[in-house]
Amino acid sequence: MLTTILVVDDSRTTRALVRNALEVDHHEVVEACDGTNALSVLEDRVPDLVITDVNMPEMDGITLVRRLRTLDRCRFLPILVLTTEGGEDMKQRGREAGATGWLVKPFDPTRLRQTVSHVLRRRGQ
Amino acid sequence: MTVAVIPRSVAGEVTLYIGDVHAGVGPVVIKTLLGSCIAVCLWDPATTVGGMNHFMLPRGAGHAGPADSGDPGRFGIYAMDCLIGAIQKLGGERRRLVAKVFGGAHVLGIRESADGVPQKNIDFIRAFLRDEGIPVAGQDVGGYHARHVHFHTATGRAFVKRLAGEAAASRVLRREVQTARRVPACGDVTLFE
Repeated sequence: MLTTILVVDDSRTTRALVRNALEVDHHEVVEACDGTNALSVLEDRVPDLVITDVNMPEMDGITLVRRLRTLDRCRFLPILVLTTEGGEDMKQRGREAGATGWLVKPFDPTRLRQTVSHVLRRRGQ
Repeated sequence: MTVAVIPRSVAGEVTLYIGDVHAGVGPVVIKTLLGSCIAVCLWDPATTVGGMNHFMLPRGAGHAGPADSGDPGRFGIYAMDCLIGAIQKLGGERRRLVAKVFGGAHVLGIRESADGVPQKNIDFIRAFLRDEGIPVAGQDVGGYHARHVHFHTATGRAFVKRLAGEAAASRVLRREVQTARRVPACGDVTLFE
């Protein structure tokens, strides 16, 4: 089954790296450059999973997660945070906002793919 | 066992080593010593938030991210992400950033070639800044000398001193080789239940 993953990051380079990793498993990747852009993308289409950075202009990743959890169609959508922020306080903020998981950069592409597969499987159960 | 604690910064000054990233606002001088490594200074003139990183390789194995790093900051892709993130957290804006780039020298025995580490570092950072739309306001890259770089976050000015002589180059190269041998690792994954 083709799955769609929305990758939200203000770095074009990082988005390309994440895309390269996910396309190995034939996921369809849609990109957004910050939280505001992600919300407009989500108006047209709800993906199977969102992967978001934290530090971004316009709307940061934590605010995006919080906003998504207020939308009925995104209430149970898996959201992974992929960030350079590795502190426990930030992780706690992500958890409280409603994130599904927290991945600290630099990411291992294989580990990212495994985590994505795990989260998608869990969603399907 | 004796543990020596050596302060890495004095008032208004911060010294970066391989893998370090520092951002500040106001009058801070960030210093580093470079051989084949690259240091990038980013500065937002509107807020005077600026910072510097110091990395030694473009990215980790597989070109999909710095996955094999014991000190992830030593990889350019991660070091740039960290620096931009740190500047944003201090109120700097990505769209206003300007860059100054230093390093990538062929110190001592490093042969000059397109696939050598110094040239790969230079190619990486030029491509990264171009792709990310960050203009380069100044650069001093390549050549055969180690460099001392001072970056003033209050003004965005950077000062470079090229170090002549084998002793300086040898000291820098030794440090870079030691860092390159560190044990690999990558960021952790936490799933919330």
